[in-house]
Amino acid sequence: MTDVALTLHPAKRTLVRRSPFMRKAFPYFLLAPAVIYLLGITLYPGIYAVYRSTMTGKFKLEYAGLQNYRELLVDNAFWTSLSNTLVLGVVTLSLEFFIALTLAALVYRDRWVKAWRILFLLPMLFMPSAVSFLWKLLFNDGRVISDLLTRAGFITGNIDFMGSTVLARLVLVVTDVWQWTPFLFIIFVAALQGMDKEVEEAARLDGASWRKIFFNISLPMMRPVIAIALVLRGIDILTMFASVHIITQGTPGGNTETLSYFIYRTAFKSFEQGYASAASVLLLVATIILAQTLVRRFFKSGVE
Amino acid sequence: MMAAKPERGIWLRKLVLAIWGLLCFLPILFFATIALRPRNEIIAPRPIYFPTLTIETWAKIMDEWPLITYFKNSVMAIAGSVFICLLLGIPAAYALARYKFRGREDIGFYILSTKMMAPAAVAIPIFVLFGQFRILDTVWALMLVYAAMNLSIVVWIIRSYMLDIPPEIEDAARTDGASDLRILWSIIIPMCLPGIVTAAVIAAIFAMNEYLFTLIIASRNAYPLSVALANFSGGSDGIIYNAIALVSFMAFFPILLLVILIQNHLSRGLTMGAVKG
Repeated sequence: MTDVALTLHPAKRTLVRRSPFMRKAFPYFLLAPAVIYLLGITLYPGIYAVYRSTMTGKFKLEYAGLQNYRELLVDNAFWTSLSNTLVLGVVTLSLEFFIALTLAALVYRDRWVKAWRILFLLPMLFMPSAVSFLWKLLFNDGRVISDLLTRAGFITGNIDFMGSTVLARLVLVVTDVWQWTPFLFIIFVAALQGMDKEVEEAARLDGASWRKIFFNISLPMMRPVIAIALVLRGIDILTMFASVHIITQGTPGGNTETLSYFIYRTAFKSFEQGYASAASVLLLVATIILAQTLVRRFFKSGVE
Repeated sequence: MMAAKPERGIWLRKLVLAIWGLLCFLPILFFATIALRPRNEIIAPRPIYFPTLTIETWAKIMDEWPLITYFKNSVMAIAGSVFICLLLGIPAAYALARYKFRGREDIGFYILSTKMMAPAAVAIPIFVLFGQFRILDTVWALMLVYAAMNLSIVVWIIRSYMLDIPPEIEDAARTDGASDLRILWSIIIPMCLPGIVTAAVIAAIFAMNEYLFTLIIASRNAYPLSVALANFSGGSDGIIYNAIALVSFMAFFPILLLVILIQNHLSRGLTMGAVKG
């Protein structure tokens, strides 16, 4: 430091050093690479999907206007995949939420909480494709579940889990619940542990049961965390793909086909990319609307 | 401790936890024995719970399938993508955490909202784009996709850790004449290193897990572990589960080590900084 006066006025000094334009533009320079990269993978694909969705033909493209959309809206397979996605999503998310919250409530003041956490975390550390094969083996190819149920005396013989809609969906639900309940569990435990112990102590001294403490004190305080966790998990569940591709491939009769799998199958198995693009555009619009509202609503507090 | 009748409450609680623990662990144990058993004991008329354990089959599997190459592809694609994420993400996180400027919220939320993008919705354009650049079926393509997928998470996690650093430290450095970039490099980055490591680990896990993009990009040379699994079927042999189990554990152990490294930051990382665990 040569000039003592300047050290007393840090703000002034920076202004001297840099032009006002640079001063204003600097944060944009820091952000630009990331934003440009993300635009490249969101904006460009969006525009291309819109363009491609107006074309038909597998190799020679022809302009077809809104024909793909018109066909899509009367396509049963599309609507089935949409309703499957929602049904599977709601059932899976509710189960994961219920189990994760129960386990978190039981474990967060336990002396061995770190050990339980690692144990419950393990399924999440496998790749989803690996977990899909594991449950495909247990339910279907290896007949392990049937065998265990037989030994327990519930059934005789083998159950064909891919033969009925309910059972095939159940397999997908179990696979997802087994792997991803830990995701919610880890977040809920952290939220509960972060809570003030003294509030609980005080309530207990006043004679409140742990049930009352949990539902009237802890749970309301956890609400923002629960919302964020459910948004993140929910979006992942709505894009469920690996387990469908590996375990059911949509069987029986397309009743386990999710929207992601519908787009994949149409584009990369039937090679109807124009048609699949139309479905992509609809999905894209839906996710943009969903993302904008959910993100702003639930992450808002994190920004300030 | 917790319940009105302590004794019964504790045992019931421990029982529930133990049951879920077994439900988590037993399938993994079974999967491990799958990797260790001969092929004819995997799919039998009745499942075999206590098989002959052997690693002799591994030699045959390594002979038939380039497992080392799959592993190398995974490591390269993941490491490269994490590097891109940090390179682009750290300056962006710094701008969001420390500067006031017009559009800060909108840009921040735009970055976050890319996390909500359904992979299937952009799969076709990405496939066509990479085809035009002739990088389909390369590790580079996987790297670019994984980086794009994880950039939002990395920015938001690191931003959250940067917000924890008291601004006074920077002000002091600034009065000493340090430039903004200098402050970022020698003060902010070292101080939020736990956040950077957390972000890197979470990005690595998600990259290891990625399936849909990987499936359409990799077709022969660039298979990483996640999609290589889906190709272990040998005609009349059907699905070769012991190879699948072996590869699954090849991916599992490195991830386990990374997660143990950041276990106290895991919840914060998974919620992109929203929950301070």
